Amino acid sequence: MFRDFFLLAARSIAHRKVRSWLTIIGVFIGITAVVALISIGLGLEKTINDQVSDVFGVDTFIISPEGTFGPGGAHADATFAIDLDHLRSIDGIQEAAAIRDETGFVQGSPDEAGDSIKGLLSVVGLSPELLTDFSSFIGDIELEPGGRNFTATDRNVAILGNAVATRLNATVGSTIEIEGQPFEIVGVVVPGEDDAAGRQSGGMMSYGRTTEDTIYVPYDVLLDLYGPADSVLVTLVRVAEGTDVDEAADRVETDLNERGADIMTITYTDISDMVGTMMSTISAFLAGIAGISLLVGAVGVMNTMFTSVLERTKEIGVMKAVGAKNSHVWLIFLIESGMMGLVGGAVGTILGLALSWGASALLSRVFGIDIAVVASAALIAITLAGSFALGAIAGLWPARRASKLLVVDALRYE
Amino acid sequence: MSLLELRDVTKEYQLGKTTVRALRGLDLDIAQGEIVAIMGPSGSGKSTLMHILGALDVPTSGLAKLEGTDLASLSEPQLVTIRGQRIGFVFQTFNLIQTLSAQMNVELPMIFQRLPRKQRAQLACALLERVGLGDRAHHKPNELSGGERQRVAVARALANDPEIILADEPTGNLDSESGSSILNLLKTLSRDDGKTIILVTHDPEAAEIADRIVRLKDGAVRKEVEHV
Ligand SMILES: Nc1ncnc2c1ncn2[C@@H]1O[C@H](COP(=O)(O)OP(=O)(O)OP(=O)(O)O)[C@@H](O)[C@H]1O
Ligand SMILES: [Mg+2]
Repeated sequence: MFRDFFLLAARSIAHRKVRSWLTIIGVFIGITAVVALISIGLGLEKTINDQVSDVFGVDTFIISPEGTFGPGGAHADATFAIDLDHLRSIDGIQEAAAIRDETGFVQGSPDEAGDSIKGLLSVVGLSPELLTDFSSFIGDIELEPGGRNFTATDRNVAILGNAVATRLNATVGSTIEIEGQPFEIVGVVVPGEDDAAGRQSGGMMSYGRTTEDTIYVPYDVLLDLYGPADSVLVTLVRVAEGTDVDEAADRVETDLNERGADIMTITYTDISDMVGTMMSTISAFLAGIAGISLLVGAVGVMNTMFTSVLERTKEIGVMKAVGAKNSHVWLIFLIESGMMGLVGGAVGTILGLALSWGASALLSRVFGIDIAVVASAALIAITLAGSFALGAIAGLWPARRASKLLVVDALRYE
Repeated sequence: MSLLELRDVTKEYQLGKTTVRALRGLDLDIAQGEIVAIMGPSGSGKSTLMHILGALDVPTSGLAKLEGTDLASLSEPQLVTIRGQRIGFVFQTFNLIQTLSAQMNVELPMIFQRLPRKQRAQLACALLERVGLGDRAHHKPNELSGGERQRVAVARALANDPEIILADEPTGNLDSESGSSILNLLKTLSRDDGKTIILVTHDPEAAEIADRIVRLKDGAVRKEVEHV
């Protein structure tokens, strides 16, 4: 019987092609917007999470000055001194490494005339472990031939960004002075291909600065030069195998806070929660906007259905006269409006996915950002069911009106 | 006991301030298996009467009984069952559904009785065959002549094999030949299947098949004539 009602509804939709299509267009514009927003939103979240988990892995967390993330922004001057050796001794911690950023008075190698350049430059202290154990976090630092990375025992050595090396007239083997102390250059970073690539391969290490202008020295040396850290950018901690990262992070945070360090720990879970919250806020906002267009589509369906009920008053009378129950009439009209919703939903899903693929292709071409498009079967199924429901709900009132018509009155209607 | 029984039935329509009295105290008894022809001038209330007999409308006052049961006392679902199963109605204006083929129009009453698809199609084709439209099954009403539409309407009225057939001018648009064939069909249904048939007609030939002729004037029975 249901099948027959579908057939009757389909006949009447097909009978008024233009109006049905216009109504369906009203529905699919809304659905297109919703599908595109959801699939791009989910894709963005997935892309960010993937990247964060690439950088972090599941066994790493970072220690950062209190308030770096979240409301309040970064306190650039938040003071905290972290003793990496103490950190390594905390239960469950396998390895720790830190990045520290100072501005140092630097003097380059003398040229043929014996002059050398002097000035304030950014000096970044890197734990050697950063290069060996946290390479995914630091990104690839590719050195020019002849260069080498820091070793655990290195003290007064430096690796130079390409631009800064040129300016300081330094190459592998030459010596520069930082705060009056001599540093041997052990490596020079290969120049980045272009900015975008530099930003990408730099990962989180360069913190917005290109590697070109940075002087890298072993982390511990900065302690000699500048005393205890009050400007550690970030500390990376890896937990021992089998240790729960979030638990270990809590232990470390409590421990260091008790020791007076104004820090917080950030695990993969924290970041992915944060990304999730941010994305769902954005999604909710966009969904609200898309919801308005859905509402407009639904009103369109309702309008069409009222017109249809009016036009087919006589037909309704006939159906009732030959034995249709009120519920039959109601169902036929509900199916009719649901079907318009469903067709709108199907077209909207296809267009919405096409739109988000297009947007993702455009983003990756123009900005070099790769955003996955999430088009799960569940999303499609929910959209289709939802759009049928949307149509059906919009048809409830008109269908009810149709079912309540009195037989003779309906039959007499011209 | 009469199959159908009307007692002092009135039907009034309120049009603004004026009251149109379509039926004014009409009495009528119809026995099982009878063929009754209802005649009378235009506007005398024939269609109104048929609607009341067909449980499509209710009298303003008076009683309309089917097998002794007052139709006004029945619930809507019970009336739906009567309309769907016990009564076949041929409308004066055919009232076919324009978007459906002749066959689907004939199947429609069976859909609401939940007859299986196959059986429905067979029955519909057989009925169309019976009214001489076997080759028009897939035509839409607007692809049929007036007479052909009328015959589809007759076929639809027979769809659920109802015991009472109410036909409002079933031969009004037909040439005498196809008119006679419809009348013969009705006669056969009465004689062989014991159907009760009430037909409105202006056509003396149609009245020929009736056992009884009821003449209406101004919403009441003016004269009843037994036919022999
Ligand atoms: N819904 C209605 N509203 C107002 N008046 C009505 C309504 N239905 C019928 N009438 C009136 O009732 C009277 C009887 O109508 P009815 O249709 O029963 O006549 P009829 O005998 O079938 O006529 P015809 O032979 O032309 O079909 C007419 O005067 C008509 O105007
Ligand atoms: Mg009439």
